[in-house]
Formats: sequence, structure tokens, C-alpha cells
Amino acid sequence: MAFVNIHNLTYQYPLTKTPVLQNINLQINQGEFVAVVGPNGAGKSTLCYALAGFVPHFFKGEISGTIEVAGIESSKSTLDEWVLNVGLAFQNPFNQISGAKYTVFEEIAFGLENIGLPREQMKGRVEEAMKLTGITELADRSPYSLSGGQQQRVALTSILVMQPKLLVLDEPTSQMDPIGTREVFSTIRKMAEDGMTVVLGEHKVEWIANFADRVIALKDGQILLEGKPNEVLTSDLLAQNGFGISRYTSTAREAKKQGLWKKDSLPVTLDEAVEGFRNA
Amino acid sequence: MDNKVSMYVVRESGLHSLHPLTKSLMVICLFIAGFILPYQWISYYLFIFIIIPLAIWGKILGDLLKAVWKVSLPIAISVLIIQSLFWGEGTALFEMWGLSPKKEGLIFALTSIGRIILTMSDLMLFTMTVRPDFLMISLKQIGMPSSLAYIVVTTLQIVPSFQRKASTILDAQRSRGLETEGSIITRAKALVPIILPLVVGSLVEVEERAIAIEARAFNSTKNETSIIEIPDTVLQKNIRRVLIIVIIACVIFGILWRS
Repeated sequence: MAFVNIHNLTYQYPLTKTPVLQNINLQINQGEFVAVVGPNGAGKSTLCYALAGFVPHFFKGEISGTIEVAGIESSKSTLDEWVLNVGLAFQNPFNQISGAKYTVFEEIAFGLENIGLPREQMKGRVEEAMKLTGITELADRSPYSLSGGQQQRVALTSILVMQPKLLVLDEPTSQMDPIGTREVFSTIRKMAEDGMTVVLGEHKVEWIANFADRVIALKDGQILLEGKPNEVLTSDLLAQNGFGISRYTSTAREAKKQGLWKKDSLPVTLDEAVEGFRNA
Repeated sequence: MDNKVSMYVVRESGLHSLHPLTKSLMVICLFIAGFILPYQWISYYLFIFIIIPLAIWGKILGDLLKAVWKVSLPIAISVLIIQSLFWGEGTALFEMWGLSPKKEGLIFALTSIGRIILTMSDLMLFTMTVRPDFLMISLKQIGMPSSLAYIVVTTLQIVPSFQRKASTILDAQRSRGLETEGSIITRAKALVPIILPLVVGSLVEVEERAIAIEARAFNSTKNETSIIEIPDTVLQKNIRRVLIIVIIACVIFGILWRS
């Protein structure tokens, strides 16, 4: 039995006329790193909210089908139980700062305070999490004095510190530079190798190709394609349906038409492109 | 700490390191004593012999006097003029240009000013030496709902960020040619394109913030703990008991004396 099990999920927000998610079926194994791609409005964020329990517990609306994580069904659980297993970090870092804390260290401890962890254990866990995401030196700063990228790391750390079994991230690196993005992706990769299941909604396809185990392509609330990153991200279907695709993929596709790209598969990352063109 | 709303003054002092509840009871006690005890000049005595020494101990005397001066002066002047000049019957102090300030009015005005000074300095003493988040943690420990504590502390932090956002929107709209200076009508017209994005943006923000704190188990039914340890001592616990007794005694004494 898969760790995450979504069965025939259809969902519609209270004030919209059409469903945002339609007939989603998805199984994810424990320790798997799954990336969700799709054009704006495809339902990436809604899928993330559904996994994190906010659909339907927070947003209400009409839902059919089931979401199961670690053998528990979302509709039979309450949100405050659900968040103990599933962590969520999303795009806008500023709104994820609790506002109730004066330092980054206290900010990260916020979730642990809420679940009533004793102070001694809390300190250890916060320090460990900060080390993991490389923000130890920000500990005494005010969360509001940080840059967008730093705030995103704080938001991510605040969720990681709660040690969720399933980590749901919706564009967690949107305000980071390439170095920051690389560090965060390697951290997430490492967490997945240690057994944490990760679902990531993301636009940065080159990073997905390097780090994710599987890619799900969403279009108009339905799963269009699903499979290994390189197969999905280089598919012609994606290019035709308005997905953001890697510039290396589109370059190689053009090159292939001219007979300049000899390999069968197209590249997603720079390294693959360089290697392919060298051998051509 | 870069927040402009709270008046907390960052200092290392004995007063700063007192438990927030000890300080709360202390200021409540001073306030009640000043208002209830039937002695005419008591607020001045409390101010000079208790608040000023405490402020010196807390290394905030300068800040405190400046703040009290700024707030109390305009009120003091108006109270002084009105009460002494327009007191009905009484002994006239002197007569000038047809006006005759009364002695009774002057005394009443001075008592009132004493109370204003006491109230202001009492409040300042408290807000300048108590960190808002420490106060909330200690209030939560004695049973205040955590959502209420959250609202108070976030307001203190979010108001400055709200102001920053308002000025960003103002700059953005100005750079697109919005007239914000000139006649009252021009200014009034300019309000709409500034306030609308601010309000709509804040509504979106509230929803996201709710999600973010829920994701961090804000609504968990477990007993909350706190990463910040607020130092407390047996001595302070005893002092708090004494203060409570003093407050009750003041109230009883005041009621008995008046009846």
C-alpha cells in the first residue's frame, strides 16, 4: 500500500463554477520525491492544499474521492491532527512568518510550542533544523528584517522542524537565487533519502530534472502525464500545452529538426545538453 | 528589535529582568493607591518616591520623563487654566483683567495633574520595561487564551509592516502619475488607489497567514509550551502575593473611608 493514496479526487472551490481538480488518481511511496508541474491555474497549489488537509478542511467547497496519507483518510481526520503528519510551506514567505515572534530562532520554535514539546527538546530540534537548511547565523535576527529568500528558508525550516512524514512544498524557492535554490533542493533530496515523502509544486524544471524521482504534469486540473523527470519534461505534449519547459529542451528540439541533435531523448539540464551536442 | 509600535526600551537592568507579572501587579498597585487612597498629594509622593527610583533602577529615567512631559504638558496646562479660572465659589488668589483664579480650583487642578502624571509615568514604566511577547507568554501561563495573546503580539509587529506596505503602494502609484498633493479634493481622490490595494492585499494576506499558522499546529489542542523561559524567583512570587494583598487593602480602605 502506497504511503500517499489519492483516489478519484475531484474538488471545486466554494465560489468557482468548474472543478479545480478532476479525477486525480495518484500513489506516492514513502521516501519518494515527486514534483508537480503545470501552467498557472492548472491546480498545482490546490493539489498541495489537498494533500496538506486545507482542502477541504480550511477552504470548504465540494469534494469527492479520497485522500489518504499514512493509512489515515483526510475527511475522517481533523486539520490539527492532519498537520502533525503533513507539513506545508508555500510561495509567499512574508505571509508565512507567524508575526508573533521577535527572532528567527523563536519563529522556528512556534510550531513545536503549539504541539507542546518540552523546552529542552525544542532547542535541540530547532538548532538541528537550522543547521540542515543553513540558517544558523540568522538565529537572532528579526524575521521581518530578512530578504525574501532568507524568509523562504525560515518558512521551510519552520515546517521541517516539525518532522512531518509528508512534506508538501508549493514553489518554496521562488525568491531564491540559484545557489540558494540548489542548497534547498539538495536538502529536500536528502530528507527524501532519509524517508520523508516530498511533494513539490515547482516551475524550475531544470532543478526538478536533477533532483526529483517522479514528475506529475497537471493541466486544467487533470493529470496529463506522469513518469520519470526526463521523459515527462521533454515530452512534446508539455510543449504543446503551454507548460514551462527548459530552454535546453527547446533548443535541442529545434536542433533535432535540423539533424543537429543525434540522441533519441532530449535534454532538460545544461549538462545533458552539453554532453549531447558534444557527441553530435 | 526593529518594531516601532511597542515602546519597549532595550536595556539591561534589574527592572527589565523582573517577571512581567510582578511588574503588572506593581503598576496596578501604584495606580490604585494613587486614585483610591484619600490623601491629596499622594500621586506626587508615589511619583517621586516610587516611580522615579524604579525608573532609575530600570535605567530609563530620561526616556520616561521625556515621554511623560510630552503627553502630560498640554493636558496639564488646560486643566490648570480651566479649573483655576472657572471654579465657582472660593477664595480668590488675585484679580487681573476681570479674572480671579480661585485657590480651591488651583488645588483641584494640581491634584488632577498629579493623577495624570502618575498614570502616564506608571504606564510608561510598564511599557518601556516589559517585552510584549514576554508579557503574553506569562499571561498565557495564567490562563489567557493563546489566540488572544497571538492577536496582541502580531498587531504590534504587523502594524509597522503595514505602514511600510502603504508607503510602497503610495510610491508605486505616484510613479504611475497619481497626484497626491494639492487641494483637498485631489488628495481625497488619491486615497482610493492607495487604500484599495492595501485592503485587498491584506485580506489575501490574512488567509495565507491563517494557513501558515494552522500548518504549524496553531489549533492543536495540546498544552502549549514556550521556547522562551521567563526567569522567576520565589522572592518575586512572594512579592506578587504581597502586592495583591496591598491592592485589596487599598480598595477596602478606600471604600470604607468614603462610606
